[in-house]
Amino acid sequence: MNLFPAQRTSPLPGGYVGKILRVDLTTGSMRDENLPEEPILKKFIGGQSLALYILLKELPLDATPLGPESRIVIMTGPITGNGFTPGGTKVTAVFLSPLTGSTLGRGATSGYWGTYLKAAGYDGMILTGVAPEPVYLYINQGKAELRDAAKFWGLGTRATEDRLREAVGKQDAKIMCIGPAGENLNRAAMLANDYNHFAAHSGGAVFGSKKLKGIVVTGTCRPSVFNKAALVDAGWRWRTTLQQHDVKKKKTKYGHGESWGALNNFNWRSTDLSPAHIQGFDQNDVVLRPCFQCARMCPWDATIGEGAHKGTLLHFNAGGEWLDAFFNLGIKGNAALYLAERINDVGIECSHFSCGAGVAFEAWEKGLLGPDRTNGLRLEWGNIEAADKLLDMAARREGWLGNLLADGPRQLAEALGGDAPNWAVHTKGGTPAMHEWRPMLGQMLRELVASGGMKPQGGGSTKPPPDLRYKETWGPLEADKPDGWAWSHVLSEQYRQFTGIFGGCWFAQMNQKPDGLNSILDSFNAITGWKFTMDDALAAGHRSMILQSIFGTQRGWIADLDWKDVGPRFLEPIPDGKYKGFTIAKWLPDMIYEYYRLSGRHERTGRPFKETLDQLGIEEFTPWSHEASQL
Amino acid sequence: MHPVFHQTDQLKGRRMAKNPSEAQQYGNLVPTARLSDGKPRTILFNATKCIGCRHCVQACKDWNDHDRTSLYSLSSTNWITMEPPVLEGLSPLWARNSCMHCEFAACAAVCPVEAITKYEEGPVVINQEVCIGCEYCIHACPWEVITKNDITQKASKCTMCSDRISEDKQPFCVQACPTEALDFGLTVEMSEKARTQAKAVGGYTYGEKEAGGGNVIYVLKENKETYGLRNISEQKFPKHKIPLGLMLKDLFTPRCGIKGKLRALYLAIIHPKRLIYRYFS
Repeated sequence: MNLFPAQRTSPLPGGYVGKILRVDLTTGSMRDENLPEEPILKKFIGGQSLALYILLKELPLDATPLGPESRIVIMTGPITGNGFTPGGTKVTAVFLSPLTGSTLGRGATSGYWGTYLKAAGYDGMILTGVAPEPVYLYINQGKAELRDAAKFWGLGTRATEDRLREAVGKQDAKIMCIGPAGENLNRAAMLANDYNHFAAHSGGAVFGSKKLKGIVVTGTCRPSVFNKAALVDAGWRWRTTLQQHDVKKKKTKYGHGESWGALNNFNWRSTDLSPAHIQGFDQNDVVLRPCFQCARMCPWDATIGEGAHKGTLLHFNAGGEWLDAFFNLGIKGNAALYLAERINDVGIECSHFSCGAGVAFEAWEKGLLGPDRTNGLRLEWGNIEAADKLLDMAARREGWLGNLLADGPRQLAEALGGDAPNWAVHTKGGTPAMHEWRPMLGQMLRELVASGGMKPQGGGSTKPPPDLRYKETWGPLEADKPDGWAWSHVLSEQYRQFTGIFGGCWFAQMNQKPDGLNSILDSFNAITGWKFTMDDALAAGHRSMILQSIFGTQRGWIADLDWKDVGPRFLEPIPDGKYKGFTIAKWLPDMIYEYYRLSGRHERTGRPFKETLDQLGIEEFTPWSHEASQL
Repeated sequence: MHPVFHQTDQLKGRRMAKNPSEAQQYGNLVPTARLSDGKPRTILFNATKCIGCRHCVQACKDWNDHDRTSLYSLSSTNWITMEPPVLEGLSPLWARNSCMHCEFAACAAVCPVEAITKYEEGPVVINQEVCIGCEYCIHACPWEVITKNDITQKASKCTMCSDRISEDKQPFCVQACPTEALDFGLTVEMSEKARTQAKAVGGYTYGEKEAGGGNVIYVLKENKETYGLRNISEQKFPKHKIPLGLMLKDLFTPRCGIKGKLRALYLAIIHPKRLIYRYFS
């Protein structure tokens, strides 16, 4: 069966607009593909899963991440853009990771862009080839065209967004774009959209390799809804589960790490958390800037109210990895916020930069790196100016150090030689989401088994979500004992995955609250007209996880790399503070083995067992099963 | 069933209000009716809490099945704008621009076919099946919030979610607001709340007196000019200017249809005061 039928024979379920745009940047040709038939949609749904299924069908096995044959598939899900639910914002890009060269790269983002991609008439798009000259893609009400982007090339993401909006003459057009980091193939260049949002983890490098500066979407289309009354009800239930962000927290909190009391400092050599980290935050003017119809209100803008950068306007989302990224270089207070805005403007994923720069700063401290290789910068902890200039060097691959920072912490550490490789934090060449995860077993496991340089999902919880207690009765798990964390993570990866592939945002998924998952599932069913049970939804999430490892398997990844190819610093015992001495390392590789076994994959190869493929209805991938590798 | 959306002939089904409002004392200029309990309700927009996210604008589209047309100008598929017309979050002050659901609704008073009803619970609603597209209401509205649908050629504006109010639910824009900048309840309670909130910020209320007052009240922390809001007199049933050319066109060309003209003629005979207000105000 043709994946994209010339004419659909099955009805289009609610929530989809029915088209995927295929763009060949080499020739400039574009055509509309019909969405796959209903049986395929029901299996892969949207987001990462459907996009990856398409990528698996289309990406040659010998493709290189930034080569001309590479491609990027971008997909929304049926929940995206419906308006009646919170979190109906998600759009996901998948590609071969430029960080690892063998695993899946995925950037997922929220805001408005996904909604307006649908409003422009498309559920997703497939981008292939390389444009001869820089271009941007303009999609207006079902009509797509490639336009010259020469005058925007070199601009930061903020200016690009403003200028592209101006260029198409629509004040409310939505923009996804890259900054100089993407143009210069920094391996962790991000896709930026709607100011506050970033599909991090390398999609920007793939755009840059294709000379694609951005995608502008606008239109008026609204996907149909199967049962509006049921959706209004389920959407409201979902909304009542939300824990809202507020302005006060942005002025008084240390970011995500505060919840367990550890921040990254001095290249992961201290977990200190002190008032100096947030000095001056209380003087900033903060405005919440929620995503499309989501009352969780994660994104926020701030205007710095004191100090050297007073008056600077900043655009952030929740998470706060960008804050820890600069704490890690000894930079605190509003200077860290200023640099976070700068890194978003040049468009580099913050942990990639921070883990690399952390190695460089440590090498400076230990005399392994001098001004001859730093373009004269003095890499002393807390040197704001040096970090600021280093951002530009990394974004533009300037000098010996800038070039290596663009490649990643592992490459830089190897080039420095000596002990430096021991100071690097990385997983398979990518970097973890930038928080001090090391005290937490579930989160550490999540980071290690993730695709590498892609924000992982899951991490587990001490108790199963209330909505899964019909079949999960374990817990509470103990934070410093390995028992149960592998299964907790497998399960959480499944429900995070299904929310994402439905087109929902996992930041708006309050899984630990009653109705946190059921309301999402009921919204999905009301939109599509399908009758998924919770088990069906978890299976859809599981299927997406398995596709991810099949993609890696095809390109040389094995599960052993999850614990063998890790920057040593990431597994060192915690150096100080209340978690001093703790490390997941003493339970490795057992926890990783258990994770793969429990998710139906072989513990060493990471390949799915044939039985797993059969259970999930993806027998077509049997040649990539563990059993097939034994033949 | 909702009386506005499920009645083919509003004239036949309309129930007269049991408690004639002050507006009716002007000579029954406006058709009135009741949705549920007859108690007036008010939307309270507290501008001091608004962050300009435009959830209300999109929610209005969602509830009413409108296309995702531009959020920056009022149209038949965009019944609310949040001003100024810049991206979400990029203004320190935000003002709502939509129907104020006037107590002395000039739009309803000028409608020659009585397609516009003022409900006792607050909403001023255009019956799409009765509207003939004459555009008088568009010119009479002091707030300039009525637009014409290019396809159906009918006048269109916010209904205050009269369908939801008749089921004792709040307007969908109010439900969507994530910062509680929008509130909804009985007018007596909302008026009191508005005054309290305005006092708390040393600000002002707006909409309580303008054009004789209506069922939408704003709380502002600066004066109305700072928000770019209109300076509207307190006159009830304000003067209006329907262009002479438009009147002549509607009277003497096939525009608005024979049926529409006959209904207008019939209603002019039975409600001469409305006729006088329409043409001689």
